[in-house]
Amino acid sequence: MSGPLAGVRVVELCDELGQLAGKLLADMGAEVIKVEPPGGSPARAVGPFVRDIPGPNRSLNFWYHNTNKRSVVLDLEKDDDRENFRKLAARAEIVIESQAPGYLSGLGLGFEDLSEGNPGLIMCSITPFGQDGPWAQWKSSDLVGLALGGPMRMNGYDPEDAPGAPPIRGHGDQGYNTTCHFAAMGIMAALLHRDATGEGQYIDCAMHEALSCTVEVGMPYWFYKRLDVIRQTGRHAAHRRTEPWLFMARDGRHILCFGVGRDNASWAKVKQWYRSEGFGHQFDDPRFDSPQNRQPGRGNAEAEEIMAETARFIAAHDAEYVYHGGQERDQAWGVVRSPDETLGDQHFWDRGFFVGTRGEGVGEDAVMPGAPYVFSATPWSLRRPAPMLGEHTAEVLAEIG
Amino acid sequence: MTTLPLQGIRVCDLTWIIAGPTATRFLADFGAEVIRVEHGQAVDSIRLGRPIAGDSPTLNNSGFFNYFNRNKKSILLNVRHPGGMEVLKRLIAASDVVVENFSSGVMTSWGLDYPDLKAIKEDIIYCSLSGFGHSGRDRDFVTWGPTAQALCGLTFMSGLPGKPPAGWGYSYMDHTAGYYAAIGIMMALHHRNRTGKGQHIDLSQVEAGIVLTGPSILDKTVNGRSARREGMPPGNRAWEPAVAPHNTYACAGEDRWLAVAVMNDAEWLAMVRAMDSPDWALDERFATNAGRLAHQDELDARIETWTSEFEDYEAMQILQAAGVRAGVCQAPSDRATRDPQLASRDWWHTLPHAEMGECEFDGVVPKLSLTPGTLRTASPLIGEHTHAVMAEVLGMSADEIAEHEAAGVFM
Repeated sequence: MSGPLAGVRVVELCDELGQLAGKLLADMGAEVIKVEPPGGSPARAVGPFVRDIPGPNRSLNFWYHNTNKRSVVLDLEKDDDRENFRKLAARAEIVIESQAPGYLSGLGLGFEDLSEGNPGLIMCSITPFGQDGPWAQWKSSDLVGLALGGPMRMNGYDPEDAPGAPPIRGHGDQGYNTTCHFAAMGIMAALLHRDATGEGQYIDCAMHEALSCTVEVGMPYWFYKRLDVIRQTGRHAAHRRTEPWLFMARDGRHILCFGVGRDNASWAKVKQWYRSEGFGHQFDDPRFDSPQNRQPGRGNAEAEEIMAETARFIAAHDAEYVYHGGQERDQAWGVVRSPDETLGDQHFWDRGFFVGTRGEGVGEDAVMPGAPYVFSATPWSLRRPAPMLGEHTAEVLAEIG
Repeated sequence: MTTLPLQGIRVCDLTWIIAGPTATRFLADFGAEVIRVEHGQAVDSIRLGRPIAGDSPTLNNSGFFNYFNRNKKSILLNVRHPGGMEVLKRLIAASDVVVENFSSGVMTSWGLDYPDLKAIKEDIIYCSLSGFGHSGRDRDFVTWGPTAQALCGLTFMSGLPGKPPAGWGYSYMDHTAGYYAAIGIMMALHHRNRTGKGQHIDLSQVEAGIVLTGPSILDKTVNGRSARREGMPPGNRAWEPAVAPHNTYACAGEDRWLAVAVMNDAEWLAMVRAMDSPDWALDERFATNAGRLAHQDELDARIETWTSEFEDYEAMQILQAAGVRAGVCQAPSDRATRDPQLASRDWWHTLPHAEMGECEFDGVVPKLSLTPGTLRTASPLIGEHTHAVMAEVLGMSADEIAEHEAAGVFM
């Protein structure tokens, strides 16, 4: 079986900002050729590295974001290689690039140039701020993007936990990730239009806009109440302070409690559980019977008492016990795990989620996350690991003659 | 009227809360006919979600709901009524896509697993979006966005060292699971265009979250290093690539912050010049990235002394003019009123809503040159399109609609 994009040819000219977009297509069957400058994509210099020894083929960050691609080195400052790039684009359905606005046009490799003779070409430019506007030529990074776009301002601390703390960036290059999710959505919409009409088009994908519409309740509070929500420790930003929902368990790990007994059936279960362990005897009071009273985030005294008792219950138990016990009683609770701690959860192995890859310095399979979605007919697949720098230059140049 | 790339695609939208509606928001922006199937006995709680316009919720005045459900239609259907289930099956037969984000098991209880859907419509594309997916030992566990973020590692990766996790102050994984659902659905549509075949997409919100932490997991499986260690997460300092300065710095005013990321020595020299080359910045300890990393506490304190002299937008202008990556930590009000970039790119829109009047929206990203996404209608009133969909999509006669109405099917 091959992926839903089998036969779709993609040329990718991306650094850290855009490389996930190419991976999303490649992992679903597209033939992605990654064009890199002679020194390699800047993403190859991003760690962590295999055994902490840097090298163009040793970046684990690069390994992860460049699966299923082939690598071709072209020096776009040279005429011959610009011609090679044109040939690659001429037989491609999709070009993805994350260079500064105007850079490729200046080389004669803009959308106007590449689509001449290939009217079905879809070209997606991924940039921090878009192709025009007063900030178009500004430089950015994942941190700076998350600051300007708004996500950081949603994350942070209650003053008693960290007085004067700044807004906090969630790690993992989530600004780049969100941008690439939108790039992939735009490319797919354009590909469906192409399926219907044969027409290609240009896509301008800006990190700033992708992030600006990925802050959930943030914009609605401004639109309807002219309020900025305030950030709080480990829970949703809100227009006023709400009850904590993050509690430390006996083993020092945290449990995130997204409500306790939201409906009457699950309330009965959790109440019985608390009682069997010597907690929550006060909950027989009928004022706890109403789901409205139990709902957190609304200033309800009952919700506050339930959360306080839940904190005591959790402090007396280990985190994984609380997580499983809670879920078995229909509580939407989670353990705050580090990313690598997910490897210990057998559920994901049941589903075949984790996969193995390999590369320089690693002879056996290195385990990493696999498919974000399970397709029944055309599944995600790992056909080749991330390419070594220029691994396919000769092969691909031979193909384009 | 511009062409929309998903014109002609009909989506039977069984989603609610945020993750599912995020997926169908994108599909609707790009022209899919998204028909929300709603239930009077079990309404989408986001229809009551704050902020609301007015003092008390009415099901039709939630600004939160409006934000995620523009461009869609709504029908009321009592699926516990045999007539309601029959109408739902007719709607599925007339649709290209069925999408839902119920807990795993709900569709089974309705007798609408993928084989059942396929029997109704051979080439249907069915996307299920649940916390843990439809297989595996914990498939019946339930998540909301924050739960998924905790379980996948994202909450842990956001915070200051030595403090509890700051996590994400919103359901980032509801957004993101929705984006993956939209990507998956469109990939399946492309496959159907080529082969005539549909399929089931089983999306787990927690797995989609783990996918966003790949390098950290490889650091464990290759280098044996867990992210749970002293100094991690590093707050706003850099993890990889390890560079400095890289942090948020207080500016003049209350709770105003500038993010700065210096990626190499050349950018550091540019920053030094932008700060008017103060003596401390010329100290040779700061001349190399290794030196700046080794003396990061002092470096950050010195930079903050400089930034605190300026209003945040002013400091950003000074640094960006010198080619230094810098950005204000913008609040929603900042983006709406002080951000010239969004304003210049036609980002803000309004649409009339029958109960809330003129409502504000943000725009469509990315921008497609030939078939851009559009804002056409605000969110639907509950059941606003029931009769129209019955007549125009299912071809019901006025009598048939009246019979169903009288039988309690549309509630």
